[in-house]
Amino acid sequence: MSSKVTRFRLAVVAVAASVAVLAGCSSSSPSAKTSATSCAPAKGKVTLQYWNTVPGMDKVVALWNKKNPNIQVETKNISNDQYGILSNALKAGKAPDLSQVGYDELPNLRTQSAFVDASACSAATAAKSKFVPWTWSQTSFGNTGVFALPQDTGPMALYVRSDIFKKYNIAIPTTWDEYAAAAAKLHKADPKLDITFFDPNNAEWFNGLLWQNNAQMYSYSGNKWQVTVASDQSRQVADYWQKLIAGKLVRTDLANGSTQMYAAYQKDQIASYVGAAWGYSMFRDNLPKQAGKWTIVPMPTWGSDGASGDWGGSTVAFMKGSKHLYESVKFNTWLNTDTEALALENQLGGLYPAANAGLQLPALSKGVPYYNNEKIFDVFAASSKKINTSFAWGPTQKTVNLALQDAMAKAAAGSGTLSDALAKAQATALKSMKDQAIPAAAGK
Amino acid sequence: MTDIATRATRRVASPGGRRRLNGGGPRAGTIFAFVIPFFLPFVLFYLVPVGYALWQSVRVVRRTGGQYGTSYTTFGGFEQYTKVFQNDEFWSSVGRIGLFGIVQVPVMLFVALVIALLLDTPLLRLKSVFRITAFMPYAVPGVIAAIMWSYLYSPQLSPVVDLLNGIGLHPDFLGPGAVLWSAANISTWLWTGYNMLIMFSALQSIPQELYEAAKLDGASNWTIAWQIKVPIIAPSIILTTVFSIIGTLQLYAEPAVLRQISSNISSTFTPNMLAYAVASGNNYQQAAAISVVIAVITFVLSFGFMRLTSKRAGL
Repeated sequence: MSSKVTRFRLAVVAVAASVAVLAGCSSSSPSAKTSATSCAPAKGKVTLQYWNTVPGMDKVVALWNKKNPNIQVETKNISNDQYGILSNALKAGKAPDLSQVGYDELPNLRTQSAFVDASACSAATAAKSKFVPWTWSQTSFGNTGVFALPQDTGPMALYVRSDIFKKYNIAIPTTWDEYAAAAAKLHKADPKLDITFFDPNNAEWFNGLLWQNNAQMYSYSGNKWQVTVASDQSRQVADYWQKLIAGKLVRTDLANGSTQMYAAYQKDQIASYVGAAWGYSMFRDNLPKQAGKWTIVPMPTWGSDGASGDWGGSTVAFMKGSKHLYESVKFNTWLNTDTEALALENQLGGLYPAANAGLQLPALSKGVPYYNNEKIFDVFAASSKKINTSFAWGPTQKTVNLALQDAMAKAAAGSGTLSDALAKAQATALKSMKDQAIPAAAGK
Repeated sequence: MTDIATRATRRVASPGGRRRLNGGGPRAGTIFAFVIPFFLPFVLFYLVPVGYALWQSVRVVRRTGGQYGTSYTTFGGFEQYTKVFQNDEFWSSVGRIGLFGIVQVPVMLFVALVIALLLDTPLLRLKSVFRITAFMPYAVPGVIAAIMWSYLYSPQLSPVVDLLNGIGLHPDFLGPGAVLWSAANISTWLWTGYNMLIMFSALQSIPQELYEAAKLDGASNWTIAWQIKVPIIAPSIILTTVFSIIGTLQLYAEPAVLRQISSNISSTFTPNMLAYAVASGNNYQQAAAISVVIAVITFVLSFGFMRLTSKRAGL
C-alpha cells in the first residue's frame, strides 16, 4: 500500500515533468515571422557562425579572420551528419549564420524555412555574374532571391585508362553509343574486363547522368509542383544502362569510392570511370601505381549539343535567424569568389570552384603529373559551361534518392528494370511531398 | 527456505516501516535523495523521449502558402499509424526480420547452450581460457565487428572468398539471397558468447549435491546435462531468448554497415533502418509512429514469450 502511494506520487512527478518538457517542444502554429530582412551593417565587432564539411576550411577562415578583425567567423565541421545536425539546429532555433548545403538539398531546406533571402544586400545580387550560370540558377531558385552562394561544383567527364583502350585498339568513345560499343568490345576481348561499374546505391551520380540528357524532374506551375522524374529523357538514360547491366557489360557490385572499387581498378578489371572534377584526386591518391595510364576526356554525349552533367558540389547558404546579413554576405562573397580563398579551398579541401574566377586559378591551369601532365581542368571547365541551367531539384530529394537507389539495386540484382526504378522514384516523390503537405501532381 | 526467511523478516519489519512512510517526516527526503540519481535520468532520457515520440506520432505536417510555404504541425489522430500499416516496406522489413529471428535466435542460443554445458563439465581443462575466448567477440563493438566481417565477405578483398574460389566454390556472401544470413552470422558471432555467459553463470549456481545424487541414481553426463541442468537453467534460457527477440527487432548496425558494400541491403531493410530513412527525409512524425509500432511489437513478443513459457518453466 505505502509503496504504491510513493510510486503513484513519483509517477505524477514524472508525468508532470514530461508534460512540461513536451509543452516546451510544441510549436505547432505557423509562426508569422516574415520580417523584412535589412542589410544594415552592425556597429562594432560581429561574430558569425559558419558550419561546413570541407577539410581545411578552418585555415581558410583563419585567413579571413586575420584580415577582418571586426567580422570574426567561427567554423564547425558537421561532416558526420550534415543535414541531421542542420535540421535539428533549425528546429531548435540555433542555426548558424551560414552553412554548407548541397545543391540538391536546397529546395528541401527551403521547405523547412531554413534560409533568409539576402537580396536586400546589393553585394549579394551583384555576385550573380561571378558564378558559373547553372549554379546561380539553383542558389537563386530561378532568380527569385539570393538564398545561398555557390561554392564548388562537380562537372562531369570521362576518366579513361588510355593504356587499356590502346591495348585492344579501341578508340576513346565520344558518344554514349560508342561507349556501349566499346563496352562490348572490351568485355569480348577479356571477359574479366568491364568498361565501368554502375553503382545502384548512388542516386546522386545517376541524377548527374539524367541532368546531362536535359531531363527536367521538377517544375512549378498551377500552384503545384509538377513531378516528371520518369520523363522520356530520364527513361532514355535508364534504358541505356539497363542494356549494359543486362548484357553484363558493367559491374554492379562496386560502391563508388569503396576499397572494393579501388581494388577492382587496381587489378585492371575496369577501364573507365564516369566521374566529376573532384574525383581526380581519388585515383591519384589511391592508385599511385597507375600514374600516367589515365586520361580525362569530355563525357560521352547524347545529342549534338554536347551537354554535360554535374555530380555534387555545394553552396554556402544564408540561414534564417542570422542577425548579421550584411557581414554574412561580405564573408560569403569573399569565401567563394576571392582567388586567394578559392586557391586555398582547392588546395586543402579539393574543392572545384563554382566561381568563374576560380576556374582560372594557377593550380587549375597547370598540367597534372598523374595524368601525363595533361591540363585536365580545362576539360572540367569546358564541361562546367555545358551544364543545363534550368535543371531543378525536388523538395524531398533525399527521400526520392533513397527510393531510387533501393529500386536500382533491385534492377541490378535482376528484378525489375532501371525504368521501373524511375517509376518508383516518381511515385515516392509524389507520396513524400504529400506527407510534407507540399502540393504536387504528376507532370507531363 | 529463503522464502520463509524473507517472509518472516517482512512481517517483523513492516509495521514500523509502514508508519514512518505514511507519516512522511524526515525519511521522505532521504528516500528522495536516494531515488533522484536514478529517477531524474530515467525521466529525462526515457520517459520524456518516449512521451515525445508518442506525441509526435499523432501529429501531421500542414503548410501554408506558395511553392515552399511555411510548415506547421497539427493533431492528426491516427493518420501516421494508418500510413505505417499501409506501408508495404514496413511490413516487408518486419517479415525479413521475423525470418531472421526465427532462424538466428534458436541457432545462436543452441550454440550458446552447448558451449555453456561443455564449459560446465568437470572433464574440461583450461576452462577460463575457453570461457574468455567464447566471450571475447562480445567485447568487440557491433559496428567494428560488422566492418571486420564485411572485409571477410567482400569478393575483392576477402582471403576466405579467395580460398573458396581456389577450391572451385564461388559463394556470394553479399548477394540478394545470402546477405540476410551474412548479417545473421555477424549477430551470432557477436552475441553467442554473451548469452553463453548468462547460461553458464546459471549453471554455476546449481548445487553439486544434485549431480552426486543423479550419479548415484546412475545418470550419465549426457542425462545430467539435458535432464537436470537444462531444466534448472530454463529461466536463464528464457531471459536470453527475450533479449534476443528485442535485439532482433532492433537490428540496425550489422545491415547498415554491410549496406556500404552491398546494394542488396536496401534503405528499408530492417524496421529501424526504415525509421531512420524516414526521419532523415524530414518526416519525423511518420518515423515516430514507426518507432512506436516497433516498440509495441517488441513488447508484445517479449512479454508474450515470457507468459507462454513462464508456466512451463515454473517462473
